[in-house]
Amino acid sequence: MPQKDQLVSALQKIVGKANVIQGPKKLKDCAVDGLVPKAIVCPKNEKEISKVMAIANANKMTVVPRGSGTKMAAGGIPRKVDLVLSLSKLNRVVDYDKANLSLSVQAGITLAALQKKLGAGRKGNFLPLDPPFTEKATIGGIVATNSSGPKRYIYGTARDMLLGIKAVSPDGDIVSFGGKTMKNVSGYDMTKLMIGTWGGLGIITEITTKLLPLPEASATLLLSFGDLEAAGKYIRKIIHSSLLPSAVELINGAAADRLGEKSKYLLALSLEGVVEAVARQITEISESSKKEGAKGVKVLKGTKEKAFWVRVRDLGSDLAKKYGSPVILKSNFVISKHVELMARCEKITEAAGVRAAFICHAGNGILHTYILDKPGAGAKLKGLIELIGKLTLEAVKDEGNLVVESCPPEMKEKISVWGQPRHDQILMRRLKEKMDPAGILNPGRFVGGI
Amino acid sequence: MEKEKMVKELNRLIGKESVLGTDMQIQLYEYDASLIRSKPDCIVLPTSTEQVSKVVKFAHDNGIRVIARGAGTNLSGGSISLQGGIAIVLTRMNNILELDIENQRVVVQPGVITLNLKNFLAKHGYLYQPDPASEKASTLGGNIGENSGGPHCLKYGVTSNHVLGGELVLYNGEVVQIGGKALDNPGYDLSGVFVGSEGTLGIMTKAILRIMPKAEAVKTMMCIFNSIEEGGDTVSAIIADGIIPATLEMMDNLTIKAVEEAYNMGLPKDAAAILIIELDGLSDGMERLTNRILDICKKHHVREIRVAKDQAERDKIWAGRKGAFGAVGRLRPNYMVNDGTVPRTKLPETLAKVIAIGKKYNLPIANVFHAGDGNLHPLILFDERDADELKRVHAAANEILKVCADMGGTISGEHGIGVEKIHGMQLICSSQDLASMRNVKVAFDPDGTYNPGKVLPELQKTA
Repeated sequence: MPQKDQLVSALQKIVGKANVIQGPKKLKDCAVDGLVPKAIVCPKNEKEISKVMAIANANKMTVVPRGSGTKMAAGGIPRKVDLVLSLSKLNRVVDYDKANLSLSVQAGITLAALQKKLGAGRKGNFLPLDPPFTEKATIGGIVATNSSGPKRYIYGTARDMLLGIKAVSPDGDIVSFGGKTMKNVSGYDMTKLMIGTWGGLGIITEITTKLLPLPEASATLLLSFGDLEAAGKYIRKIIHSSLLPSAVELINGAAADRLGEKSKYLLALSLEGVVEAVARQITEISESSKKEGAKGVKVLKGTKEKAFWVRVRDLGSDLAKKYGSPVILKSNFVISKHVELMARCEKITEAAGVRAAFICHAGNGILHTYILDKPGAGAKLKGLIELIGKLTLEAVKDEGNLVVESCPPEMKEKISVWGQPRHDQILMRRLKEKMDPAGILNPGRFVGGI
Repeated sequence: MEKEKMVKELNRLIGKESVLGTDMQIQLYEYDASLIRSKPDCIVLPTSTEQVSKVVKFAHDNGIRVIARGAGTNLSGGSISLQGGIAIVLTRMNNILELDIENQRVVVQPGVITLNLKNFLAKHGYLYQPDPASEKASTLGGNIGENSGGPHCLKYGVTSNHVLGGELVLYNGEVVQIGGKALDNPGYDLSGVFVGSEGTLGIMTKAILRIMPKAEAVKTMMCIFNSIEEGGDTVSAIIADGIIPATLEMMDNLTIKAVEEAYNMGLPKDAAAILIIELDGLSDGMERLTNRILDICKKHHVREIRVAKDQAERDKIWAGRKGAFGAVGRLRPNYMVNDGTVPRTKLPETLAKVIAIGKKYNLPIANVFHAGDGNLHPLILFDERDADELKRVHAAANEILKVCADMGGTISGEHGIGVEKIHGMQLICSSQDLASMRNVKVAFDPDGTYNPGKVLPELQKTA
């Protein structure tokens, strides 16, 4: 590898002096699990990224792509961090084709800024993704980590919305997959392959996605239940009916408390669509849920409704503000086990003497566990490590797994942040080796240490 | 390896009741629904994953090429054995292995016929959404290989949106499980890249599919136009108005005539275009949405609107659309289906160019398409015995591909690249894009055992 100053001057030549950051404080802020990069590079376009990658590849320098840095406590400990490549300057809307309901946008723009642009005017549209970090999350980060939120119940995730991806491969090739057509089987579906790869197969620089028209009406029903069994029965009824809520969230007491609601178990149902259908679902669900044991029914609309869902999405980011790297876990499982798994996890965390907020995308089989205590050190940390092991086994029992979405680095050394190894690891490893032969993109951070 | 030896070895491996090798038998598997013909050396009809795995391992160890095949409805030559070898026909693996209503999943073998699954689920009040027009014959394994679409993909997405995982036989016979019944399994989206890989990456011997409860209400309407431009403009106007129906299908005059002559269902043979629009969901508000759509149709001078009053009328409307390829097939000895897809706003302009291309090459072209998705299906009619005509067909087809690419679209929306469109890949992919796809191929199938000569054109070696 060339000397650091040689490297820096080469990078400066590509992106300009001001866009190679070397200030010690800034470098420390961009550290991944304590590993401080040599420099932060802020390219302005794909061509610059391509040149930076070519240098990195030739010199076997590792590169960590970064949006607004909301996921830096996630993933395995990187083997090496040489460069952090910031996508913040790629924040342009490339093509907003309103009549086609499609959008091409660069990776560095925040979803919040984008939604504002799309929603403006008489007939607004939106991109139906609602991941955590409501204000901060960038499109590139959301897609690279396949981040999602409550409304995936009806709208799906990035894999259901995206039509195309532009990326820079580890050796500096600019590649473009898919396009702005609703269907495309011309070659492999590389767009789907790139989603959720943590930038490990290429740096995502632009995405093209379908959009949806903003719904005419929306409302949220908060149903409070005294026990999980009754909540579970009612959830089953809803998700197997022809009713079409856009989110089915089961929230335990500790989480409800943080959302400003008092309830032992809260079931939040978001309703969106034409005015008549929203009105009818409010009436029907209010009545039927009471019969099925709901103790209280509350209807949220307008700004109160919006604020509620932002609080749900940002429960984890609020903890991060407090603790830096809080412990946040994501279990996936077969959808019928919504309350069973939550009940088991609650019991186990209680027995471990740990306070936890649980929020479950009940219709999708995803449970988020937010440890409310500071991770701490020593015995406390050890206890949490044991707890994660136990909770992983519970998710595996229900045909799923457990991913540690955030935790302090000292904990990562002792756990598997990506859960139990899976049968298909061999294919992932081969893909990584073929597509990033020098192993320079985010090495070590992804599943199985790839 | 010599054919006799191959057959003998395969007989030993999986039993002779599962191996076909006579010339007559082989002839039955030399074609699909495209114009391309080529013979496999022999055919096996396995009944289990274990048998598939044994056959693939045997082939790989002996440098024999393998192709997986379902019902042979492929429209791009994807299921043709270009380089001989073994055709693994999966139609005997046709069991629905598990209906898991509680988890809204169904687990199937690849040889299950699409419509059989749908009919089976309907009895339980559930739906598997993708609905390719060939669903009566096509297998789910084939749908997965091609990432098939269908009318309802406008609202519900294509096959890959409904495949959550399954079991793969890899190039060396090794069996791996990918994805699962649960969502968000950690790791790369292997199901996502596998679906639509046209049998070039592996064989899926078990698939886990998403099912959903059937909609409360459905409204199907047929809107008849005197001008094809106005039909196309109506499609764009509906989407631009923020309405995404469950389907937005279109047929042109030649198709309407063919359908009417074949099925006699009371379609006006002089109409220039028919749109089939279906809404589904909750009944509340559907009437108002219907009226909004009908208003848009009226603004575009719709000539007549027929709204289906019951299931029987709905079925009748769909029978015409789904039978359209067959009906058009009666007009001339052969047809070639194009599958170009454009941004939906470019539909009217593209359509005009397709019509002009038909005129230029003096070929009748019938148009049936998933208008809401911008997915065209121009059917070029001809007689393959007429060498000059055949030449013009290929020239016209290529020109249509180019038009679609130039419009910012793509050369295939749902029928696949196969052999037929492989030369068109460079219209839409750079050599870097193709190299990236080639990496995926090599990662899955390093020795090129599976379905050689498909999807990816040979890359030109650069110095």
